[in-house]
Amino acid sequence: MKKETRETEEDRAKAALADEDPARATELMVSVVLRSGVLISAGVIVIGLILLVMRGASGMDGGIASALAFPHTFASVFSGVARLDPLAVISLGLMLIILTPVSRVAVSIVAFAMERDWRYVAITAVVLAVLIVSFALGKGGS
Amino acid sequence: MTHLLVQFLVILAVSVVAGVIGSLLGLGGGIIVIPALTLFLHVDFRIAAGASIVSIIATSSGSAATYVKDRLSNIRVGMFLEILTSIGAVCGAFLAGVVKGSALYVVFALVLLYSLYPMGKKIALELGWRLRPHGKDQAESLPPDPLAAKLGFSSTYYDPAAKREISYDLHHVPAGAGIMYFAGLASGLLGIGSGVFKVVALDTAMGMPMKASTATSNFMIGVTAAASAGIYFLRGDIDPLIAAPVALGVLAGSLVGTRLLARLAGASIRIIFFVVLAIIAIQMLLRGFNISL
Repeated sequence: MKKETRETEEDRAKAALADEDPARATELMVSVVLRSGVLISAGVIVIGLILLVMRGASGMDGGIASALAFPHTFASVFSGVARLDPLAVISLGLMLIILTPVSRVAVSIVAFAMERDWRYVAITAVVLAVLIVSFALGKGGS
Repeated sequence: MTHLLVQFLVILAVSVVAGVIGSLLGLGGGIIVIPALTLFLHVDFRIAAGASIVSIIATSSGSAATYVKDRLSNIRVGMFLEILTSIGAVCGAFLAGVVKGSALYVVFALVLLYSLYPMGKKIALELGWRLRPHGKDQAESLPPDPLAAKLGFSSTYYDPAAKREISYDLHHVPAGAGIMYFAGLASGLLGIGSGVFKVVALDTAMGMPMKASTATSNFMIGVTAAASAGIYFLRGDIDPLIAAPVALGVLAGSLVGTRLLARLAGASIRIIFFVVLAIIAIQMLLRGFNISL
């Protein structure tokens, strides 16, 4: 009986150690960021779809292929969301999906810093910098 | 309204399939989403490509959330190689206006066709076919790459299908990194194929186990796609009524795909991947020669 308790304690200690493994903490942080990004964006998209059904998608009998003009700039998406425009709410959800991998990279920098793995802080910072440059180029290029 | 609903449900169903296959094989699902949208639903190619980018990012984030937690995705390998894929993607976007599209498809198709050979050889070995009596094809016999050791690439994961822990080292890091740059270039130039090149680099060039390769590719493709997604979004190529069912369908599919990956043997996943790789290569080759089916 006593031996059993000691063994479970030992297991618990091992488990605690595994959780305190700094590399494990980084993995869990990255996983949480990805999962929450996905859940939040899916939730926003579903809300947009519910709004669309509630408003009655009149004038869209031609089907999706001939759909209405939709917002695709930050300003028009945000002002549309304020008016609870269904298409703007869906676009916000899609924007959040696109931003999920970017936030994953940003959070990894913090996680690697907590792990004191400076080499990977530098590597991840380079990736984030390239991503930011690509966003900036895209905005100016077209 | 009914017409709209039917289209919505068709796109949703197609995207579930794309999500299952994409999360299982480390691909974005664009090979399924683009033809389905353009050929069957007559969606404009530009809008289909925008939906495909959303599909890649959703597959990646949805499946990597699980793969990273299960340590199937090697985040150090992924982060390091993302430098090459993202720089490749930016270079590709720049070159896109300069280089002729059809020639590019042929070049990338040939690279994929070429990679069928080493991958096929690996499959043959796993199936127990002896190609050479004393071949030294076992990656395990190679010493780990000094660069891989320095960057902490070795990892261990639990494989529920094999019911044991699998530990691995990586080899030929410079070759793998070169293919990764190519993967980024392909996605920047053509908007497709970045996942297949990543799996080839990890599995075939660097000797990562197949499951870890597709999981790590899934972890990476979201970042490569995000690099061009901003451009697509601001250009108005991401149509909410098309991309919404794609995103939701792919996310649902990735829940199934991640479970499937855990249960299947690595060797079976490689065989499925081999077939898909051949299809993509032929698809690209035909497009390069302007033959449409």
